[in-house]
This record gives sequence, structure tokens and C-alpha cells, in this order.
Amino acid sequence: MTFRLRLIIEWIIIALLANGVIIAFLHWDITASFDNLLYDGLSESARPTADDAILIVAIDDASLKEFGKWPWGRDQHAQVINNIKKLEPRSISLDIILSETGEPEADVSLSKALYGDPLSALETQSNEPAIFLPLHFVTPGNDGRAFDTILPAPLFLDPLNHQKNLGHVNLAFDNDGILRKNNICFQASEEAPQWPHLMERIYQNRHNKPSATLQKALKKPLCDAPVLIPFSASGSISTISYSEAANDTMLPDSVRGKDIIIGATAAGLGDNYPTPSSNGSLTPGVEIIANMLGALERDDFVTPLSLWQSALISLLPIWILLLGFLRWQPRLILMASGLIFLALLISSAAFLYFGYWFPPGPALAALLLAYPLWGWRRLQAISYYMGKKLRELESDEDSSPLGLIQKKSIDLVGKQRDTLDQAIDNIRDLRRFVTDTLSGLPDPMFVINMDNEVILSNDILNIRIDSNLVGGDLSNAIDTLVRKEDRPSVWQYIDASDIDSANIIIDQEEIVRMVDNYSSSYARFTSPRGRNFVMRRVPLRNNEGEYRGYIHYLADITALARADSQREEMLQLLSHDMRAPQSAILALLDGKIDEQAKQSIANNSKRTLQLAQDFVEIARMGETPFDGEELLIDSLVEEVIDSLWPLANERGIKIDLSNIDDGTFIIGEADSLSRAFMNLLDNAIKFSPDNSNIAVKIKNMEFGKTTMVSITIEDQGDGIDSDMLPILFEKFTTNRGNEGRAQGTGLGLSFVSAVIERHHGSISADNKRDGGAIFSILIPESIENDE
Amino acid sequence: MRIALADDHQDVLDFMTSILEELEHIVVTFPDGERLSQGLMRDTFDLVILDWNMPKKDGLAVLNWMQEAIKEAPPVIMMTSRTAKNDITAALNAGADDYITKPEDRNVIAARISAMLRRSTTSGSFETKAVYGKYTLDRIDHKVMYDSKEVTLTAKEFELIDLLFRNRDRTMSRDYIMETIWRTNAALTTRTLDMHISRVRSKLNLKPENGFRIFTVFGYGYRLETLN
Repeated sequence: MTFRLRLIIEWIIIALLANGVIIAFLHWDITASFDNLLYDGLSESARPTADDAILIVAIDDASLKEFGKWPWGRDQHAQVINNIKKLEPRSISLDIILSETGEPEADVSLSKALYGDPLSALETQSNEPAIFLPLHFVTPGNDGRAFDTILPAPLFLDPLNHQKNLGHVNLAFDNDGILRKNNICFQASEEAPQWPHLMERIYQNRHNKPSATLQKALKKPLCDAPVLIPFSASGSISTISYSEAANDTMLPDSVRGKDIIIGATAAGLGDNYPTPSSNGSLTPGVEIIANMLGALERDDFVTPLSLWQSALISLLPIWILLLGFLRWQPRLILMASGLIFLALLISSAAFLYFGYWFPPGPALAALLLAYPLWGWRRLQAISYYMGKKLRELESDEDSSPLGLIQKKSIDLVGKQRDTLDQAIDNIRDLRRFVTDTLSGLPDPMFVINMDNEVILSNDILNIRIDSNLVGGDLSNAIDTLVRKEDRPSVWQYIDASDIDSANIIIDQEEIVRMVDNYSSSYARFTSPRGRNFVMRRVPLRNNEGEYRGYIHYLADITALARADSQREEMLQLLSHDMRAPQSAILALLDGKIDEQAKQSIANNSKRTLQLAQDFVEIARMGETPFDGEELLIDSLVEEVIDSLWPLANERGIKIDLSNIDDGTFIIGEADSLSRAFMNLLDNAIKFSPDNSNIAVKIKNMEFGKTTMVSITIEDQGDGIDSDMLPILFEKFTTNRGNEGRAQGTGLGLSFVSAVIERHHGSISADNKRDGGAIFSILIPESIENDE
Repeated sequence: MRIALADDHQDVLDFMTSILEELEHIVVTFPDGERLSQGLMRDTFDLVILDWNMPKKDGLAVLNWMQEAIKEAPPVIMMTSRTAKNDITAALNAGADDYITKPEDRNVIAARISAMLRRSTTSGSFETKAVYGKYTLDRIDHKVMYDSKEVTLTAKEFELIDLLFRNRDRTMSRDYIMETIWRTNAALTTRTLDMHISRVRSKLNLKPENGFRIFTVFGYGYRLETLN
């Protein structure tokens, strides 16, 4: 199972769980205690002011003290009602059960007090206050009924009103035993009549229409729509004592036009209940219904949202968060969770403000469940994934050529941490290793990506070209590395070895074939600094076989190339320059050996010897470092002239040495310098006509701060072929077409040039205007070092 | 005189023998260094001429052996085809009294051998007036006549030319020359000797056309060669 799939499945489980929690909690009201607490707190902060049109006549402890223990005689009540009626209240409700008949005389007097004398009813009816009485229910009822509806005794029923002044005074308690809500309407079963609340009766009587709350309730089955009562502060409803009414000491203004509710408040009478406003004590039943009347008049009952409404409101933020789980960063999820938590609380308060109650508990519970659960699952998943990858890495034998560092820890988390540490260490080592290997490669190399941009070049390359190619493109690199003449061929190689980037090779054989191909083809070029290189390029591929770029590997073959050219020279020497005189000697030996033949044999032999000598000297010079001593150049040249005197003298050639200065010291290698001048003078003699002069001039020349010795050798021969002049000092340059000038060795002048170069000097050759060659040599003077 | 000659090439032995016999010397030849050593143990010679490159024991090894094994060793001339400065100085520093590079002109070889034998037999002889071709040295007045004309020389220049003529055809080391003429070489740079040589060469016109040439053995010393 992939990491992603696993996470998705776990997400779905968490989502279902969160949804389930919301629905279940709402349905079974599991978070009721929290919600109630919240509700109580919220309603506490927004209590409505008491309706001043309501007056409670309280059967309080003072009244009990005055009139003795309950129940009192009905005539007592009749007296009170009559007293109240005199002061013209708007209505009178008795929160007293009158279901049984009592003393007949007293009952009659109460009935009269309530509804007036039936005989004089017609006269008094118009300004009589409306009377409302409670009915109550007995559970279980007789004959298997759930309820028995107990009406007041017939004597106390309004003869004209057909029970329309009767209403229920049921109380509905929450699970915590606190009374918060009530039903405005009660219906025991489908067939049973619907009884509005006593207070609804008062409302209907006054407004001649059912209240909005009742209308809503009637739409529900069994008119079951409990509403939350907005309690005003405990004891804030105007209250007078029953005894006051009985003694007729009431202020007329406190009664006139008011809705009078007579009910028990004394603690001993048991009609007291806990409500949100009771603050630990109890609220009398009469005050509860008085609050209901106030709420009806203000129409501010709080309607609890239905299960599905609550569910909808609860699920919306949870789903936002659930979706966020998949997309957001952990930090954002935490913030969002906090915000949603707050939003739920605030929305609950806002609903309450507009008269609806939304219990946020289930949603909060789901939130508190989902967030840590998700966090845990995700951590678990990451931990699992990491563990798996680390094990893979560990088991990968090629992961580090340096070997793995092993660490030991006892617990699982420690182990994982160690494995991670180890993996990171190993990767760091590996990276370091690769970088060091690349940059430390003894041959230059650079790497380009598929956009022909140089992304890596190693140390030796950077040092060689004294700059860094990284960041530049391939053509820039080629321009830097390759001299102009060789660039086309290098580009040709690059183009030929380019591969189609779309082409992904999977076949192993194909790879082998390609590698063969890449290692067998190459581009050979010379750098602007004159070094010879072979360049190979190999494509770089990643694990998937896609091409990522090319490695360019440059092998410095300067030494090889030199050896190559020396081998060429050697072959040239052996195949022609050595062989020709030997063949000539053999040919001469075949013929008549006279003096002339002997001379020719000797000449040919000398030529071969000279050639061998030069070759050895050049080779030795290439191998040995410069080993100069201080010597007098004038003496050296003079001794060379002396040693050639017999040769020159034989042909009547005179070598004149003129050294203007007293003598100049240079740092020189006596051997090679002597041989060099020997070669030059030998050539001069060879190409001079008989009885001519050769002039050798030595003088000092100032070049700024340095003094150079100039040595010139001029002959009176035919001069040098103009074609030959530019290549005169290259190896094996012999003007073979021209017999007169061509008999020299192929190595002599290149040897001279090499020697002079070794002495930090320079040599040039030219023809004089009047014919004859002139060789000019400059060698720096040695500065005297007095010790 | 008895001369020991060692070389592994028969044609060289023949060539050298012909020169030496022309000079009326007795020649005993050896084909390699080992045989030469054995010969030197058994016999006495006035001069040893040996090749550098020989089988079994090369010239340098024989030279070193001679320094240790033979009391009053005869002078040695080393023959070599090695012409590099370092090779020649190595041979001379190992105890060879002179060297001859191959191939060399017959007459030159004869002159060099004669010089070596002359020195070893007539050292210490003194002539007040000596004539060398066009040059006449007056050792009492410290004058040199060239083509019957007096050449003006400083005292040191005369001593130098005297030394060179006396030891003509013999290679002398710089140290030898400097110690002989200046007694001490402490304050001298090689430049001083080089300049003296150069000056003497040009003042006396010591050139092949006058029958002499000064030859520098680089890294070692000088030799005045007589030419025929």
C-alpha cells in the first residue's frame, strides 16, 4: 500500500468518525452538560428585563405564618380574588390546583369570586378580568392510558368560556434537573386534545390569536416543540404577598391593568425548581410561568435548532478542517482548528442572540477528536514511511562506497533517530566523496546539463584555464578550451555524439553498445596554450534512464603527442636521413676506390655521424634540465672557429672574428652552445664558395636594463631559399629540390634553435642584400656576481 | 716505452697500435678491463690508454681500481666516444691524466700521447729560452717574441703562457693553473682566469694558422694544442 493511499484511507476513517461523533452526540445529547453550561453562561449575560405588566401574588412564608398551614379554605382565595378584582387587573391566573371539591360553601364563594354570581353574570361580564386556571395530568392514567387529564372541579370552570381559560402548567426538566425549557402546548397522544400552556391562554385571550410560538409548535407532531425560556433575573418580576391581597393593603396602581398570577413561593410548599436564573437556589413555579408570559408577550422564546439543522451547522466547519487536513501545512491546520473552535462558540452565541439555540458541544467534541487523531495518524504514517525508506537505504549496498556507520540504540524511536542520523551522515559522506572524487580527478573534466549549461568543472580544469566555466554555456567552454582551428572538428564530434533527449534506453545491450561507442570515439584538439587534449563525452542518465546532461572528460596527451612526433622524427631519420648516406657509401664501395671515392665515403660517413650526434643531442637536451655555467662567449666562439679552421682552410675560406668588447660572460651550457655554433659555422663553410670570407661579429647590445650579446655569422654564399626562410629552424627541413643548398643535415638548425631557446636567447636568419646568409643570435649577458 | 692499450674493438686497437708503433713505442693490448687489470698486476707500463666502454670492467672501474691497487700508477689516457662535458670531467676527476674523444685525428692523438709521455719523463727540466714554432719564450727576461716581435705581457700573463707552453697538449685543471700562477685561488673568480686566457690568446694570436689553439675543457680546465 502506498503512503498516499494509506493516508487517504485513514483520512476517510477520521472523517467518518468525526461525522459520526457529531450526529451521535447531537442525537443522544451527550455533550448536554457542556452545552447547558454554555447556555446558562450565555443567557446569564443577556437576561431580559422583567415584564412590568405582570404581578405575582405570592403565597409566601409570611402568608403561611398569617393564615396557618396550607391548604387554606377556598373562601380565603375568594376573598383575595375579590380584593384584587376591585383594583381592576387585566387578568387573574391561579397557579393553584382546584381539581377537588372542598367545603361546599367555600367552593361556591370562590366560584362566585372567579366568575361572579351566575345570576348577575350578564351585568358584570364586560369589565370582569379574565380568569385562568391550570389543569394537570396524572401519570399513569386509569384504564391503561398514559395520562389522565384532570380538569378543575366543575364548579370552578367558566360556565361561558368552554374551558378556554384552562391551560397546562407542565414543567420540563433537562437531564441535569434544571428547568430551561418548556412546551407551549401539550398533547398526550394523537387522539388526545392539544392543551396550550396556561400563559398561552392569557396571550390568546388578549390578542385573540395564538402566539407565534404556538403556531410553530402546532406544526410538529404532538405539538412537541419545547422552547427555552428567557428568564429575567431572579425575583425581578413584581411580586406582592398573598397576605397583602388578603388584607387589602395593595397599592391600586400595582394591580390595575396587570396580569395577576397567584401561586406558591414558600419553600415549604414544594413548588420551587432549579432554573438557569436561580443561581443555586430555586425558582418558584409561579415565577417560571410569569417568565413564560413575558416571553410570549415579547415573542423571545429561544428555539432550539432541530437535530438536522444543528448537524448541518456542526458538520460544515468540520468538513472544512477535514479537507484542510489533506492540503494544509500542520501549522495552518492548528490555526484553523483553533479558529473553528472559536467560530463554533461565537456562532452559538450569535444564534442565541437571534433567538435560536445551537449546541456547539458535538462539533467541538468532533474537532477535539479529529485534530489529534489526524496528527497522530499522520505522524504514525510518516514514521512508518521513514522507517521503511531508511531500511531500504540501509539494505542498499551501493549506497555508500565508504561503508556505513553503525549506531546502536535500545528503544524504537532512538533506533529510528539513529538510522536517520546514520542515513544523513552516509549521504553527506557520499556527497562529499563524489564531490572530492570529481574535483580531485587528475584530468580536467566538466559537466553540462541538457540546456548546454556548464554545471560542474573540476579543480584541475579551473587551474589550467585559470577561470571557472560553471554558469557559462558549452560554446563558451569550447571557445576557452580549444584553439580556433580545431573548433569545427570538436563541434562535429559533439553534434555526432548528441542524443535525442526524448530517447529513454531501457535495454541493457543498447547501453553496452552505446558506452562502447562513446569510449571509442573522441575529439582531439590543441588548446590555445598549445597543449594537446583528447575529449570524450558521455551522456549522464538518472535512475529512470532520462538524460540529464553530459560529462566531458579531457585527457592531456601533450606528452604522448610529443612522444608521437619524436617517433615520427626517429622514423624520418632512420628511413631517409640515415639510410641515404649509408646507401651512398655502399654504392661507392662497389665501384673503383680512388681518392675521390674515399673522400665521398668519408663525407657520407661524417654526415651520418653528425646526424646521429645531433639527434642524440636534441633528445638529451629535451630530457635534461638547463645546466649552465658562467663562460666567456667570445672564447667559446673563437674555439669553435679554431676547431673548424682546418675545414675552412682547406677551401681557402677565411673566418674573421671581430669582438668589439673585451669579452662577455653569459650563463651557458658549453657543450650545447659549442655544438650549436659548430653547426652554424659548419653550414656557413659548406655553403660558402671557395676563397670567400665568413664574418663573425660579437658585440653587446642594450635592451633597456638588460644587455644581450649579439653574435652574427655572415657568409658569401647564395643565401637561403626564400621558401625555406619561415621553416628554416623546424626539424628535418632540407631543401631537397635544391642540390646546392640541400646537403645539410635536417637536424642541425633545429638543434641550434633549441639550444638558443634554452639560453633564453633568440635566433633569426635572413639573406643579405648582396647575397649570402646571415644568422643573428641574441643571448642575455650574465651579470657579475661578486662574492 | 711500454704502453698498455685496452679496447674491445679490434679495429681501434689496430688503429692505435699503428700510431704508437710509428712513435716507436712497445704496445701490449688487452680486449677488456678485466684482462687489463690482470696485466697491470703482472707487468709495469709507462702509460695506460684505455677505453671507457668495455665489457666485464669498464674504464672508470679500472681507473678506480688502479688508484687503490697500484703504487706509483702510470699516467692514464681515457678514450671515449662520450663527448658530454660531464663525462669528460668525470673521467678526469676519477684520476685520468688526459682523455681522447673518438673519433680523433691521427696527428692529434700522437701529439697528446707524446705530451703525456714527455711530462711523465721530463718534468722538472728547465730551459731559459724555448722556441715553440713562431713563438720564443725568454724565461729570464719574461718576454715573448711572436714573429720576431716582442709582445707586451703582464707578469701573470707571461707566467700563464709559460705554463701553457710547457704543458702543451696536456689538459690542466683550472685549480692547477690558478694555484701555480696565483699561488692561492681564494680571491680569484673563474672570470679572472677566463679573461687572462682570452687576453693571452688574442695578444699572441694563438690560432690554428700559427700552429696552436687554446682548447677549453669546460667544467675542468684548459689545454694548449699544437697543430701540424
